[in-house]
Amino acid sequence: MIIKGTDLNAEDTLVKYQDILRQYNIVNQISRTVSNTLDLNRILKIILTGVTFGDGFGFNRAFLFLIDRHSTNLVGRMAIGPGSAEEAWQVWNEIQETNYSLEEFLNSEKFENQPQFSMLDEKIRHLSIPVDKTKIIWQCLEDGIPRNVDLTEYNKENEEKPVDKNIQNGGPISDIFICDPASIDHELVEYIDYPKFCIIPLICRTKKVGILIVDNKYNQREIKPDDIEFLQMLGQFASSSIRNTLIYNDLKDSISALAKLNTKLRYLKEYNEKIIESIPVSIFVVDHNFTLTMCNENCGILMGIEKDNIIGRQIDTHRVFIDGLDLMEELGRVINENKAEGFYKVNLSIDNKKPESIFDIVLVPFKFSEDTPEGALIIVEDVTNTVRLEQELNNAKKLSRLGKLSATVAHEIRNPLIAIGGYANRLKRKYSESGQTDMQSLDVIINEVSRLERIVNDILDYASNKEIKFSSVNISELLMECLILAEAAAEQNAIDIVFSCGKDIVQGQSLYVNGSRDHLKQALINIINNAIDASSKKDKISMCIYRQEENAFENIVIEINNIAPLGSKEDLTNIFLPFYTTKTKGTGLGLTITKKIIEQHSGRIEVKSSIENGTTFAIKLPLLKI
Amino acid sequence: MKKILVVEDDMPIRNLYKEELIDEGYEVLTAHDGVAGYQLFKSSKPDLITLDIKMPNMNGLELLDKIRKENKEVPIIIYSAYGEFTQNFSTWAADEYLVKSSDLTEFKNKVKELLYR
Repeated sequence: MIIKGTDLNAEDTLVKYQDILRQYNIVNQISRTVSNTLDLNRILKIILTGVTFGDGFGFNRAFLFLIDRHSTNLVGRMAIGPGSAEEAWQVWNEIQETNYSLEEFLNSEKFENQPQFSMLDEKIRHLSIPVDKTKIIWQCLEDGIPRNVDLTEYNKENEEKPVDKNIQNGGPISDIFICDPASIDHELVEYIDYPKFCIIPLICRTKKVGILIVDNKYNQREIKPDDIEFLQMLGQFASSSIRNTLIYNDLKDSISALAKLNTKLRYLKEYNEKIIESIPVSIFVVDHNFTLTMCNENCGILMGIEKDNIIGRQIDTHRVFIDGLDLMEELGRVINENKAEGFYKVNLSIDNKKPESIFDIVLVPFKFSEDTPEGALIIVEDVTNTVRLEQELNNAKKLSRLGKLSATVAHEIRNPLIAIGGYANRLKRKYSESGQTDMQSLDVIINEVSRLERIVNDILDYASNKEIKFSSVNISELLMECLILAEAAAEQNAIDIVFSCGKDIVQGQSLYVNGSRDHLKQALINIINNAIDASSKKDKISMCIYRQEENAFENIVIEINNIAPLGSKEDLTNIFLPFYTTKTKGTGLGLTITKKIIEQHSGRIEVKSSIENGTTFAIKLPLLKI
Repeated sequence: MKKILVVEDDMPIRNLYKEELIDEGYEVLTAHDGVAGYQLFKSSKPDLITLDIKMPNMNGLELLDKIRKENKEVPIIIYSAYGEFTQNFSTWAADEYLVKSSDLTEFKNKVKELLYR
C-alpha cells in the first residue's frame, strides 16, 4: 500500500492508517463470509453489500456485470443502492441504528431477508453490453486497470487525456480519468445516471470475469486513490470467488447431468431386462468359451435349475440335444461360420430328460462389444400350443373335407336305403300276416338298414353347417330334462346316475348359457348316453356340476364319470374323431357331433381316463351374466 | 275314397309310398317332379299331397309355394332326406314336415291324421 504525499501531519497520518486498517478489515470480513458459500447470487450480494456498507467502503451504489459465456456480452447481474436520496438517507439511518459490523450484518437475518427486488437491481438485469474495444469498460478489462471516470469536465479541447498518458507510462492509476461520455456505452451512462464512477475490472488470472462499478451519487464523496487500490484488491478476490463458483456450478451441472444420464441408462437397462424377462422365450447368451454369461428367468424354468446356477457355467455342463443333434457342435458351427441357424418344431433333451414340449430354437452369432470375441445367442421358444393349434386346424380342415364328401355319399346312399328298408318292412308285414317266410332274416335286413340310416343321418347332421340360432338357454332346466331322459335308458341296465356335486345347480338354480336349446340337448344326451353305453350292468355314473371362474368369465362345468376306463392312450386322443368308436353299437359320430356343438357354443370338452378313476368327460360352457 | 298325390323323383321310393298308401286304402297318384306334380294337382284335385324337397325341374318347396298360392286348404306333407329344412321357414306352409325313413309308420299315421282332422 502506498501512502501518497509526504506533507501530511501526524494526525492526518493516523486517520489515514485507521482508514487503511478499516478497509483491510472489510476485505477480510467479506472474504470470510464469501468463503462460506458457493451460491453465486449470495456471493455477488455479499460483495456488493460489503462495498456499499456504511462502516466499510461506504459507496452509495455498486453494480456488477458478468461476462456471459454464450454471448460474451457484459450482462448486468446485480445492483445495490438506494433508488433516491431520501431512500439513501433512510437506509443509512437504519444501518447506523443496528450498529452491526459488516460481518455481523452479513450473517444477520436482516441480510438474509433483505428484499432482492429494487428498481436499480431490476433494471441492471436488462443490460447487456456487447464487446466493443473502443469503449472504456472493455479497455479496462483488457489492461486490467481500474478507471475513475469523470464525464463532467470533458470538452473537445482537452482531448489529450492526462490519465491516458499516465496509464501508458505505467504511472499512478488512481487519477481522475476525464473522458468523453461517448467512450462509455450509452446504455450504461443512462442507467448509472451520475457522471462520476469507478470501474474495476474483475479478472481471474487471465480470464475476464466481469466488472464492478461503484459511485457516490447521494453524498457526492469523491472516490480517492486509496479507495481504488482497495477496490482493486477486493476485485481480485471477488473475481476468483466468482470464477470458482462458476466453475463449481458448471461441475455441479455436469454431475447432475451425468447423474440424470446414469438414471436414464439404468432405467433403459431395467426396461430392456424387463422386456427380456417378460417375453415367453428363453434367451441364453454364451461367450466364445461356451460360458453362459446371461439368461432370463424362462431359461431356469426350461432347464429346471435356478437361473443363478446357470450363469457363469459352461454350457456343456448340461448335455443338450436338439432332435438328437449336439447343441455344442451346432453352437460351435454358428460361432465359427458367423451364421445363424434355426431348428423348428423340434424336441429337446436336457441332461437325458425330455420335456414333452415342442420347441423352435434359433442360434445367432452375438457380439456384446467390439473388443470381445464372438459368442452366440440361444433362443428357445416353446411352440407346443402353436403346433397343437396347427394340428387342430389341419384336422378341422380334413374333417370338413371328409364331412363334405361323406354328406354327398350319404345323401346318395340314403334313398336306396330307404327303399330297401321300406320294402323289407313291407315284406315283413305281408308275410307275418300269412305266417310264412324267415322272419329273422328279414329282421336282420330291417335292423341293419335302420342302423345304416342312423349313420347316414348323423353324417348329414355333422356335415351340414346348420346355422345355430342363439338365445339364452336355462342350462339347469335343460340338464334336468336330459337326466330324466337318460335315467329311463339307465334303468334298463340297472345303472345308477348319482350326483357327486352340484345337484343344487340342476334342482334349485337357474343358470343360463347363450346357445341353441336343441343342439345343447343333443350334445348332453349324447354324452350321458355315451357313459351309459360304456357302463356295465349295475355300474354307477356320477355327475358333478359346478361353476368356475375363468378370466373375466364364469363357466358351468359338467363332469360325467363312468367306471370303465378307456382301452388305450390312443382312445383318449382319437375319441372325438368321426367313426372312431370303442363300442359295438353306435355310429361313431356321437362324440364328434357333441364336440362340434360344444365348440360352436364357445365351450370345451375334455376327456380323461385312468384305471382308478374310470373315464370322465368334462364339458365347459360360458355362463351368461344375469 | 281319399285321393293322395305323391310327388317324388326317386322311383323305388315313389313306388314304395304308392303301394303302402294303396294298402292303407287310398287312391294314389304319383308324379316324378314338381312340374308333373303341379299338373296333377290341377287336373285331379287330390285330398292330400306329399312332397319330396329335392327334385329336378321344380323342387318341392317351389311346388309347395305354387300350390299354396291357389289352395290354402289341401293338407300337404313335405319330407326330405335330412333335417336341414326344418330351419327353412318356407316349410311352415306345409302341414307336416317329416324326415324320410324306411319305417313308414309315422308317415302313414300323419296322412291319416291330416285326412280326418
